Amino acid sequence: MASQGLVYDGCNFFRQRLVLSTLSGKRVKIKNIRSKDDNPGLRDFEASFIRLLDKVTNGSRIEINQTGTVLFYQPGLLYGGLVEHDCNEQRSIGYYLEALLMLAPFMKSSLKATLRGVTNDPIDPTVDLLKSTALPLMKKFGMDGEGCDLKVVKRGMAPGGGGEVVFTCPVRRTIKPVQLTDPGKIKRIRGVAYSVRVSPQMANRIVESARGILNKFIPDIYIYTDHMKGANSGKSPGFGLTLVAETLNGCFLSAEMSSTPIGQGDPVLPEDLGRKCAKQLLDEIHRGGSVDSSNQSLALLFMTLGQQDVSKVLLGPLSPYTIEFLRHIRDFFQIMFKIEVQKPSEDERKGGDKVLMTCVGVGYSNINKTLK
Amino acid sequence: VVKQQSETYVEEEEEQDDPGALRWKEGLQQKAAQAFLRQQEAAPNLRKLVYGSVVKSEDSEDEDKEELGGLFRVSRPQKSKKFQENSLDCSRFNPGTSHNWDLEEMLNSIRDCFVTGKWEEGQDAA
Repeated sequence: MASQGLVYDGCNFFRQRLVLSTLSGKRVKIKNIRSKDDNPGLRDFEASFIRLLDKVTNGSRIEINQTGTVLFYQPGLLYGGLVEHDCNEQRSIGYYLEALLMLAPFMKSSLKATLRGVTNDPIDPTVDLLKSTALPLMKKFGMDGEGCDLKVVKRGMAPGGGGEVVFTCPVRRTIKPVQLTDPGKIKRIRGVAYSVRVSPQMANRIVESARGILNKFIPDIYIYTDHMKGANSGKSPGFGLTLVAETLNGCFLSAEMSSTPIGQGDPVLPEDLGRKCAKQLLDEIHRGGSVDSSNQSLALLFMTLGQQDVSKVLLGPLSPYTIEFLRHIRDFFQIMFKIEVQKPSEDERKGGDKVLMTCVGVGYSNINKTLK
Repeated sequence: VVKQQSETYVEEEEEQDDPGALRWKEGLQQKAAQAFLRQQEAAPNLRKLVYGSVVKSEDSEDEDKEELGGLFRVSRPQKSKKFQENSLDCSRFNPGTSHNWDLEEMLNSIRDCFVTGKWEEGQDAA
């Protein structure tokens, strides 16, 4: 073996390391995965993630030691096509989907992935959130057209799961550089209140309480209620809310909350959930920027991989996950961003400080894509 | 506004001269808000925060720190790093603190983010 490539410690930021390794073609070795833990090594959901990665690539080499504390990954070529995957229920589909969103535009043939498992849980971004924020963001980078879609076929709450989503994404040869420096004002708020295996009235109660808070700002609010029944309702009961604020320039800020999974803590009232979620949306609006906090790293990745031109994006405060992602981008692509803090002026009432991120793309072109 | 209120608090205390034990609990929220604002104002060099210090100076610092008498190396456990290493891999941003959205002041701080708020000159609501 020639070289081990980049070496990291610990299981945190597992997905970003493997995704960036796949995109850059650099090998990666991750040591000391929960090595001090009573139950050392990779968890089932991480193994499931590796299997998914193996399905969308061709010729990847993965070596794991006996205890599962050391992982070596040599990326193959991104293949795409039809993929079906049963996602481990320890994490929701959002965990797996976030990585697929990053990889999908660079496949050989356009991806159509059917993912089964938990669609909504309180930990990861839910499929509803990614559908309403990540997909419009990808369109800004030139991944538009009909092919880019995420469909929730069945809803499955944690811990039982039983949900199903279909994600399709077209392939692109190059990524467009973007200038998202002005998000514009918020023109409307949309949302989805969902409930499965509980009274459909729950969703209405959520909508009522969330509207009560948001109506102080803007009248144009519409929260859909989505109650799935029978085979489409998964294995566990639950409800939740996703709120999205859309700006004049087509930027999306979001917040969401899901009910506590059954048997994992105190149950939550739908009214409380609605109010809390609405306040979280106000928090997100206060942070502001053109990209909401859960999609910061996706935007930064596409900026890095853009054509050799300047890209600018205005973000809210960087999340710890994003900060680590920036460090990983430096490791894998040798790109460092220019980071400028923008303070709002005195008389402006537009929330907190913003961060302007600027970089020149590496001019990444999709070598996997077949020429037609 | 905040300053004036805290002054009135002090005055009240002096006037009443009440040995009530729970005085310190008053205005906690304002104190927290002030601390938060102070922290926000002390804008850190973000580039340094993200990428660490400039490469050259980092090298020299490392030499100074790590070697003692040219033979021994000082091993410093990086506590924060170790702690982070094996924690949950999740992209959700939980800042821990949330603003109090029941206050009218707080609600006003984001009014202009909406089309219903004030518009800059040169731009038109139409």
